[in-house]
Amino acid sequence: MNPISLYLRLVRIAIKARMQYRADFVTGILGVIVMNVVNISLIGILVSRFADLNGWTIWEVVFLYSLWILGHSLFSLFMWHIRTLEDYLVQGTFDQFLLRPASAFVLFIGREVQYLGIADFAIGVSGMVLAYSNLRLTWGPVEWGFLVLAILAGTLIEMTLTLMISSIAFWTGRSRRANSLVMQVNVMVQYYPVDIFGAFFRVLVTSVIPVAFMNYYPALMLLGKVEHIGAWWPLAYASPVVALMMVGLAAGVWQLALRQYSSAGG
Amino acid sequence: MIHVEHLTKDYRRVKRREGLFGNLRTLFSAEYEPLRAVNDLSFDIAEGELVGYIGPNGAGKSTSIKMLCGILVPSSGRIEVNGLVPHKNRMANALQIGAVFGQKTQLWWDVPVIESLRLFRDIYKVPEPVYRQNLEMFNDLLGLHEFRDAPVRQLSLGQRMRADMAAALIHNPHLLFLDEPMIGVDVVVKERLRTFIQQVNRERKVTVILTTHDMVDIEKVCSRIMIIDHGQIVYDGDLERIRERYGTTRTLVIEFEESVPDFDAPHARLVKSEGRRKWFAFNRLETSPSALIAHISARYPVADLAVEEPDIEEIVRTVYRGGGPQEAAR
Amino acid sequence: MKLFWSFTRQAFHNTVVYRVEFWIRLVSILLAMYSIRAVWQTLYTQRPDAFGLTLGQMVTYGVLGMALHAFIDTGSEWYIATQVRTGAIDTDLLKPIDFHVHMLARNLGEMLFGMGVMALPTYAIGYFVFGLQLPPDAGAAGLFALSVLLGFLVQFHLGFLLGSVAFATLDIRSIAWAYFAVISFFSGQMVPLWMFPDGLRAVAEILPLQAVYYIPMSIYIGTYSGTAAWSALGFQALWALILAGVARLAWHQVHRRLTVQGG
Ligand SMILES: Nc1ncnc2c1ncn2[C@@H]1O[C@H](COP(=O)(O)OP(=O)(O)O)[C@@H](O)[C@H]1O
Ligand SMILES: [Mg+2]
Repeated sequence: MNPISLYLRLVRIAIKARMQYRADFVTGILGVIVMNVVNISLIGILVSRFADLNGWTIWEVVFLYSLWILGHSLFSLFMWHIRTLEDYLVQGTFDQFLLRPASAFVLFIGREVQYLGIADFAIGVSGMVLAYSNLRLTWGPVEWGFLVLAILAGTLIEMTLTLMISSIAFWTGRSRRANSLVMQVNVMVQYYPVDIFGAFFRVLVTSVIPVAFMNYYPALMLLGKVEHIGAWWPLAYASPVVALMMVGLAAGVWQLALRQYSSAGG
Repeated sequence: MIHVEHLTKDYRRVKRREGLFGNLRTLFSAEYEPLRAVNDLSFDIAEGELVGYIGPNGAGKSTSIKMLCGILVPSSGRIEVNGLVPHKNRMANALQIGAVFGQKTQLWWDVPVIESLRLFRDIYKVPEPVYRQNLEMFNDLLGLHEFRDAPVRQLSLGQRMRADMAAALIHNPHLLFLDEPMIGVDVVVKERLRTFIQQVNRERKVTVILTTHDMVDIEKVCSRIMIIDHGQIVYDGDLERIRERYGTTRTLVIEFEESVPDFDAPHARLVKSEGRRKWFAFNRLETSPSALIAHISARYPVADLAVEEPDIEEIVRTVYRGGGPQEAAR
Repeated sequence: MKLFWSFTRQAFHNTVVYRVEFWIRLVSILLAMYSIRAVWQTLYTQRPDAFGLTLGQMVTYGVLGMALHAFIDTGSEWYIATQVRTGAIDTDLLKPIDFHVHMLARNLGEMLFGMGVMALPTYAIGYFVFGLQLPPDAGAAGLFALSVLLGFLVQFHLGFLLGSVAFATLDIRSIAWAYFAVISFFSGQMVPLWMFPDGLRAVAEILPLQAVYYIPMSIYIGTYSGTAAWSALGFQALWALILAGVARLAWHQVHRRLTVQGG
């Protein structure tokens, strides 16, 4: 079986498995919606009270938030369980991925799906629509195309980051806290335009944990705010490239991690 | 079929420091100590053998099986499985082996068993006729049809084990590694699994390594046993020979016609006394049962008697303790 | 009391073994403090008059909210939900201690452990790096400590309640997220209640959630003092009691159902 059709097969099984827990579906979706509405309101209170946040109006902030969550929704639909890698290691269930004549990565990544991503997606789309009309944007095909690319790049960036951080568990046995830490940085970027932070943080989310490419930089391009970053304007277009670089990096880390696993035994 | 030479595996463990101060120091640095799980293991297994691989918990059985599967890389030593080095050709090796780890299932927890089997069919590229034929065999011998449409989470332990067994054999592997497949399974299912393992071994020429704590499995199924302790082989051979070497102790059980005081007979030792019954242990190399019986019946009237052979469990216990043939007799 | 110390010690052991986690946790608190300070500074620079407080007070409020969150939230809901889902709750119920007391000891132990190890470095960094100010006087500091403890009790019992309803559903993750979001919103953890629009503010003032962050932090920065502080403490204590009662009742129900249905 080639990796892609194997992946699709696995996803089909994972969906079937998920469907066994329909009771969780409604509460889950509602939970995610409540969470996001509350979060947006919180920022809304701040920004509306102060008119704007460092030059970002309330709807531009909603746009940032929505762009982030659209990329995130694909991640949370199909790849959320990467974060639980440490459980696979602790419980010894990771062995099964190495027991088959197929890529351990594909077997792992296709193991679970989560429906919560559906709610994320719905929120992302609604937020985007609201922001688009309130900001009176008029995009051409280039912008729409770039939007799609940026969303996919966002998914890949979050996935590769999570994979690399979770792989820490191959060495230390634990990665949950490290993951929440990165998630924390990630959420800061989701809520607030990166330019309110100091230089250190901006460098951090641009290079080391490049989550600013999930929403901030592509939003500059899509909202016509590229002049915000002056000479750094190429970054506004760089999300897809960054995503590809991250994929390469994560592939390397994963190989190292597998080697570590088979020599240390998880 | 399997060639293992000076195989060693070290795990790394974080060294625990004692006390509050030690704990605080752990914040800044951790020390590791190696733990030798498998220690200079060498053996060969020929095609079609059915080997019982036994040893106490922590002996290194699972670790060595994982190395044979290519999941773990040896710290040193050599492994060849049917001409392949497992950790170097993990996927090629995966095609020729099947494995059951009794502690955890390899099937999808929430979908019907048959879904998992179909997926394995596709992953291993099993031709449709072969797949059907195998399913039929699993229906006959394992009763797979009784629970193939239920999700694994609803199966009893016995059913789950049978399902896992089917999954391990769906692709007609040359080798089958069974790591405690009988764990928590009732007697009826055990019997069924034993028959199944034997049949697969005999008719399909599948080489089997079976780890178990149940000596009945070994006695009924295996042609050879390997006993491992502290990562080292302490016995490798057939059952008969182990009986000969370690099992020279016999027990003579005598029921007297009336209660008699405790006494020792020449070359025999009283080990138990209960009502009118007494148990004498002796080494059959030192004295014969008839001599012993003659000696005893000359002193007290005997109502009934029996000579008991040691069961394999007792023998293995002796071997675990590191006792040689001499000690076994005492 | 002995039980409680044994949990504290155990929490200490469990956590310190994973040294990486200690550092990560510290960094995590720092990041949270950093981000909230950046937000308030930006807003303050835009409109210095909109707060009614000094920038120092505002930043102290925000930074403190993040630091407290790291300690107060011990995640009792996860523990209960996981135990119920995996059936491990049976072993908890077999123990000869009241489950509610057991959980309280466990979580209080964890909170105090967290503070014991992390509070000093956190506070020092907050003070020297992020402009965290000292409380106005020693009295306020004492009331603050008391208020944090009461806030912990309120938040613990809410978590306990959430965990208790978790047995009805397998996956409490998204419910928990919503719950966290609602808490951090209405408790004033990030944004003080008086900045809310009037309608929301009225809601926030009725809810017990302000007991978790808003009250302790208002005492700390000095907006609650004297009788206002004491009556706020009374509010906290009242809610802690009410919630403890409700939590016990809810648990009683759960327990009955667990023993009747066999989990
Ligand atoms: N992943 C691991 N990390 C560290 N030590 C391990 C690991 N797995 C097993 N061990 C240790 O290695 C030894 C052998 O274990 P194992 O092979 O599982 O024994 P068995 O299967 O015979 O019970 C034991 O002392 C066990 O504690
Ligand atoms: Mg084992």
